[in-house]
Amino acid sequence: MRDHEHSNIAGALGGALVVAMLLASRPAFAHIVDGSATGGFLGGFAHPLFGLDHVVAMVAVGLWGSFLGPPAIWLLPITFPMVMALGGAIAILGVPVPAVEIGIASSAIVLGSMIALAARPPLAVAALIVGAFAIFHGHAHGAELPPGTDAVAFSVGFVLATGLLHLAGIAFGLLTRWPAGRIGVRAAGVGIALVGALFLSKAI
Amino acid sequence: MSGLLQSFVDGLLNPLTTPAHVLTLLALALLLARQPQRFTGVLVFALALAGGFLAIVLAVETTPARTVLLAVAVALGVMVAAAWAPKLLACLLAAIAGVALALDSPPQAVTITEAYATLGGTALGACAMLVVVAAIAAHANADWQRLGLRIVGSWIAASAILVLAVQLR
Repeated sequence: MRDHEHSNIAGALGGALVVAMLLASRPAFAHIVDGSATGGFLGGFAHPLFGLDHVVAMVAVGLWGSFLGPPAIWLLPITFPMVMALGGAIAILGVPVPAVEIGIASSAIVLGSMIALAARPPLAVAALIVGAFAIFHGHAHGAELPPGTDAVAFSVGFVLATGLLHLAGIAFGLLTRWPAGRIGVRAAGVGIALVGALFLSKAI
Repeated sequence: MSGLLQSFVDGLLNPLTTPAHVLTLLALALLLARQPQRFTGVLVFALALAGGFLAIVLAVETTPARTVLLAVAVALGVMVAAAWAPKLLACLLAAIAGVALALDSPPQAVTITEAYATLGGTALGACAMLVVVAAIAAHANADWQRLGLRIVGSWIAASAILVLAVQLR
């Protein structure tokens, strides 16, 4: 009973937090940058953190990996940054990818739904889904890499921030060891999917 | 601080403060940490570094060393992430990394003596970083520590891919 009450409170707080962040946020566009290595690193680090559409998808990757258990718990967070970097490289080289914002919003919907439904596809399928969406996230980051920025510092900063968001998702996902935690994680999946739906409605 | 000592310190700090060098050295150290005979890899790297410095002394023209270094960082990062490290390939990449890092570190010294001091500092800084990180990573034997290193490898590869794209743009 007490677990149930705690879940309700946590769900309400989580919901309030999501709504507050939605009201305060916009899709990831303008960011802190200057030409120095420090400015580049800070700009890169802030880049994924200032777009809720990116944040929820990154956390969802870690959360889903944690939900699926080993080896997905580490394979998905390893796959995502490397494929995301390929997406970023495509953008930097000037190759267009259609419907990037729709792809990013869809990633939150799909990954959130997978968590909410406790879906357990084969590992290769999970990696493929995560990898496919990573292209869109990477393309958005790469296209927004400001000219004159220290590219190495910017890249290190934004890959590090992305990785930390995955780790936050994994840490949250460890709650699935307890029955109430499983409900909380699945509820978070619903929240992530809803955030994705909101951004999709904005993007269309 | 005398000019000679200053040049040495500049050289020493160069591989520790140049992000592309740090990425490559970290990835190489993490890869060598998983090798039973990691000393061979370090030795190959040191010899290749010396070869690269010799090329600088012989006044080799400008080279795409930075691009090569980043490409090696991508390969090393992917290998660390995949926990796949054949000895021969690791040694080959160590050699390429050594030469490229040396060629990407031309000294900005006024005199020949200061230039040699800078090169000596760079050699010491690069080799010391490689050995220290590899030694620490070799002690990371718990499952979560090994996974952590693989994740770091994927981050290095991702960062290097992006910077490589910027270089090739």
